[in-house]
Amino acid sequence: MFYRLSGVYHTDYVSDSRIYGVPADRNMAAFCLIIGLAAPFIIPSLYLNSYMLPWLIWTAAALGLNLVTGWAGQLHLGYAAVMAVGAYSAIHAVRFGVPWEIALIIGGLAAAVIGSLFAFAALRVKGLYLALTTLAMQFIMDWVLTHSAAISGGSHASLQAPTLALLGQQITSDTGYYYVAFGWCLLVTIFMLNLKRTGLGRALVAVREKDYAAAILGVNSFYYKILAFATSSFIAGVSGALLVATFFFLAAPEQFSVNVSIQVLAMVIVGGLSSIIGSYFGVALILLVPGLVNSAVASISQGLGVQIGVETLAHIPNAIYGALIVIILLIEPLGLGKLYGNVRDYLMVWPFDQIRK
Amino acid sequence: MRTNSNSTRALGSDMPILECKGIERRFGGIVAVTGVDFVIQPQEIFGLVGPNGSGKTTLTNAITGFYPPNEGTVRLSGQDITGVAPHKVAKLGVARTFQNLALFNGMSVLDNILLGRHIHMHPGVIRTALYWWAARPEEIRNRLVVEEIIEFLQLESIRHEMVDGLPIGLKKRVELARALVAEPKMLILDEPMAGMNQEEKGYMSRFILDARAERGISVLLIEHHMDVIIGICDRMLALNYGEMIASGIPKDVIKHPRVIEAYIGGSHG
Repeated sequence: MFYRLSGVYHTDYVSDSRIYGVPADRNMAAFCLIIGLAAPFIIPSLYLNSYMLPWLIWTAAALGLNLVTGWAGQLHLGYAAVMAVGAYSAIHAVRFGVPWEIALIIGGLAAAVIGSLFAFAALRVKGLYLALTTLAMQFIMDWVLTHSAAISGGSHASLQAPTLALLGQQITSDTGYYYVAFGWCLLVTIFMLNLKRTGLGRALVAVREKDYAAAILGVNSFYYKILAFATSSFIAGVSGALLVATFFFLAAPEQFSVNVSIQVLAMVIVGGLSSIIGSYFGVALILLVPGLVNSAVASISQGLGVQIGVETLAHIPNAIYGALIVIILLIEPLGLGKLYGNVRDYLMVWPFDQIRK
Repeated sequence: MRTNSNSTRALGSDMPILECKGIERRFGGIVAVTGVDFVIQPQEIFGLVGPNGSGKTTLTNAITGFYPPNEGTVRLSGQDITGVAPHKVAKLGVARTFQNLALFNGMSVLDNILLGRHIHMHPGVIRTALYWWAARPEEIRNRLVVEEIIEFLQLESIRHEMVDGLPIGLKKRVELARALVAEPKMLILDEPMAGMNQEEKGYMSRFILDARAERGISVLLIEHHMDVIIGICDRMLALNYGEMIASGIPKDVIKHPRVIEAYIGGSHG
């Protein structure tokens, strides 16, 4: 009904390979795009910069992790370390006098090089062992950052990010920052949508599902795993650099510590492995829900006239938020993306499926 | 008739497609396959039979590089491929199906078959990013080849379905399609008819014969159904305990005393 399939005929392979085969999906994507573009004019700048902007950048980052964990099936617990490489390389490049456009690419490439170097070593093992090896990468990076003054300024120091400037234009306004984040997230999303329908995406899924079957089809598993790590590290590096340039304005080692790695992994898993829309939902849940629950609990307690201690008030939202993640994964282990897919499938034929019953 | 015409061709001077000499594969102290010699001529359907555990699958794994042989050589069109990694063997023109199905469950039938075209495509990150200019022409070109095979194997109606939900007969057919789109010189089918009924077996046999007739490929067929082996194979080889016990024209091989002994037990006295 809502996602109408009747009357949709693909008469050539180009139209059959479109990203959105169903008109309703395409319209919805267009609607979201317009809302995204118009956001600075309809959303107050406080919300724009403290919610929308981090949501978009973290989504781009989560999509990068989804590429390696969701598509290629390799558990990665050192993602924040790779983001740190990108952030620090880009900032140092800009401080050195390189324009921001090139510095962002340098950040991405540096992250890709370091990320795939680690992958070279890590990919000799599989599954949980790989997860542990990537975790080691995270700790090594933490140590390097806190101990080398040349990179981070030393422990407890932070590095001031130079003012962002793109295409010869200094970007200092909230709207400007937002559009940079929006543009990056859009680019990554389009890349991932294309990945779904090309040989690269298929090869990665083949490596994830059955590596021996992939091998007999001519897919070199090791090469594609490295490629997945390199690509996801590039996305991580640029996302990390943009996060510092538009949101934190300072780079500090603790912004890219191990709990951040686990948080991004949580975003991907709650959102749904190898689901693009799921990554958007997952990031929103992990990033924005704690704040929402916090204010909700505060206003409910006020409305009921119940006096809640500060201590309790600090803990209740955490408990609710944790419970929410557990409940979602119990209802649908494939995450929010699959949950959305279920609703979509239901609405596809509703109400006509009711007639039979 | 076909059997005769092919065996005369087999005697011709054509270079064999596949040539195995003295193949031996051990797992620790267990000798899974030893001293296996055989030759597959162009456009030949070659049967490989033997009781369970006789080393048929180990032999195919030795050919395709999963378990490189400890001794012996494998030649593909004269080129030595002994111990070459599976993904390289695939690029040289060997395709195979697996005994226990190796389809990718998270994908549609179409995507599974498209993966069979992998060796003819050049997937890359930049190409993916610039999809409309760099990847789409190649995707469409390969889609055309895939659609030909989909039509050949009559899979049109399930093209967009997920493979997990299909019955086993169709899954086997999708796997055959995936192997065929690679346009291999040598096709290895590991029990393509296991668990099929008589009608499905008939379909599958005809597909194999048509694939040979229309595409000129050579087939190494592992099967337990003797009727199929006798019906469509030009020559065959029987294994028992990893050793060759008979080879030649199917009619002769199945009458061979050692084959009868291996299958239904000899006179134990």
